[in-house]
Amino acid sequence: MPMRDPYQVLGVPSTASDDEVKKAYRDLARKYHPDNYQDNPLADLAQERMKEINEAYEEVQAQRKRGGASSSGSYGNPGSSYGYQSGTYGYQNTGYGGASGRVRMAIQQGDLNLAEELLNAQRDHDAEWNFLKGVICNRRGWMDEARRYFQTAVQMAPDNPEYQHALDRMEGRNTNRYNPYGGTLRTVDCMDGPCRYLTLAAICSAFAGFPICCY
Amino acid sequence: MFGYVHAADDVLSQEDRQRYQSVYCGLCHALGRRYGLAGRMILNFDLTFLAMLLQEGSCGTCEKRCLAHPIKARTCQQGSDTLDTAADMSVILTWWQVQDGIADHGFFRGVKYRFAALFLRRAYRRAKAYQPDFDAATQRQLRDLAEMERRGEPSLDAPADAFARLLAAAAEGAKDPVKRRVLGQMLYHLGRWIYLVDAADDLTKDVKSGGYNPLPRRYDLPEGKLTEEARRDLSMTLDSSVRAMAAAFELWDFGENRGIIENIVYQGLYAVGGAVLNGTYRRRIRRKGGHAHA
Repeated sequence: MPMRDPYQVLGVPSTASDDEVKKAYRDLARKYHPDNYQDNPLADLAQERMKEINEAYEEVQAQRKRGGASSSGSYGNPGSSYGYQSGTYGYQNTGYGGASGRVRMAIQQGDLNLAEELLNAQRDHDAEWNFLKGVICNRRGWMDEARRYFQTAVQMAPDNPEYQHALDRMEGRNTNRYNPYGGTLRTVDCMDGPCRYLTLAAICSAFAGFPICCY
Repeated sequence: MFGYVHAADDVLSQEDRQRYQSVYCGLCHALGRRYGLAGRMILNFDLTFLAMLLQEGSCGTCEKRCLAHPIKARTCQQGSDTLDTAADMSVILTWWQVQDGIADHGFFRGVKYRFAALFLRRAYRRAKAYQPDFDAATQRQLRDLAEMERRGEPSLDAPADAFARLLAAAAEGAKDPVKRRVLGQMLYHLGRWIYLVDAADDLTKDVKSGGYNPLPRRYDLPEGKLTEEARRDLSMTLDSSVRAMAAAFELWDFGENRGIIENIVYQGLYAVGGAVLNGTYRRRIRRKGGHAHA
């Protein structure tokens, strides 16, 4: 398959300045960041997209270095320095021996039923067990239970950064999250503040003179 | 369905607002064409959102007058296969919601649901013939849901999962395999979110009437209300589903509906969820848009 126009991938015109290209790249990298797709059944699609974006950015950089289309000085390659490269979308199973390693392997391969069977066969419900239970729930979209398992895992092993990170993500403490409107909105913010939503009357009467369209 | 999906007012562009309205009107006309007046009565914004998600490619618009707007014609999305499919699914979803209402209420309080069912029966039969797979999937999930209600399922995720799967079945018709996956995720979490928001919205009523609600099984309810802590807890699980919708949304190009869908998954749903949890959600709107008997 021929490579798409790198500028099109980044969503900027080829006349964009270096800074604009960089900003577009950063926004996209934030949008498709592995953190946003952890335990997500669509992680493979996000990873593909990220790869495409990284390639497009490198291509633009290479083109500009060669042709000097615009020259506003030098900068590093954020593609590698941000660590957005592919390969971080799943869990690493290196270093986990025995039962836990097998469960992680099954999760990695997307075989949630096997992973769950392996977990259910374990007697010792330690922090790792709770964490992996949480991962499986999260993958299935059972997010209330996922969060409770992560909480237990963190309580049992407060120093484990992986468990803490999973809980933080679940509770929305992932401050770098992409939002097209800026900031990070949460339901709880709308409980306290005035978040407005469009009402039927607003959308109907704005066009007709009377709001009976809503029956 | 329920009528909880709204866009955030302050950040919707004029152009997107116009398009939103044109899909709303287009769906209404599709319902009217296929199902007559009974079909039109079930229209609401949740179903409009479904129509926007299902839409393939670009759709033209036309100017049409209708019973509600007899003088000034309004811009409508032109009829299309996906709009018709959305109309069929709307009828099926509403029919089963009405059936659920009949099952949940006693003879007298169930009268309005029985009337609605009478009104919708013909439409439902036709919709079922158009979308037999979706109807079968809906029935299957609702049976699971009823079973869970009967045995008093303590989990929040399990009943939400049944409703979420029900809605996710609407993704099966998408032609592109990537779109099918993306839509499957979006609709799953939309269904989960709607189920939980509806549970929170109905909590007071259900506690009073003794109707099934998953929240009292998950949280302690002093004075029949969610504590501040429980509300924050619930808001976090709602957030997880909205975030999953946004993450899926970014993996497919929704074309001309992009702006509205983006508004809904990054802002609108948070605003509605917040309003339901703090008790300021306008139930009036929901009643009007929600049920066929309104």
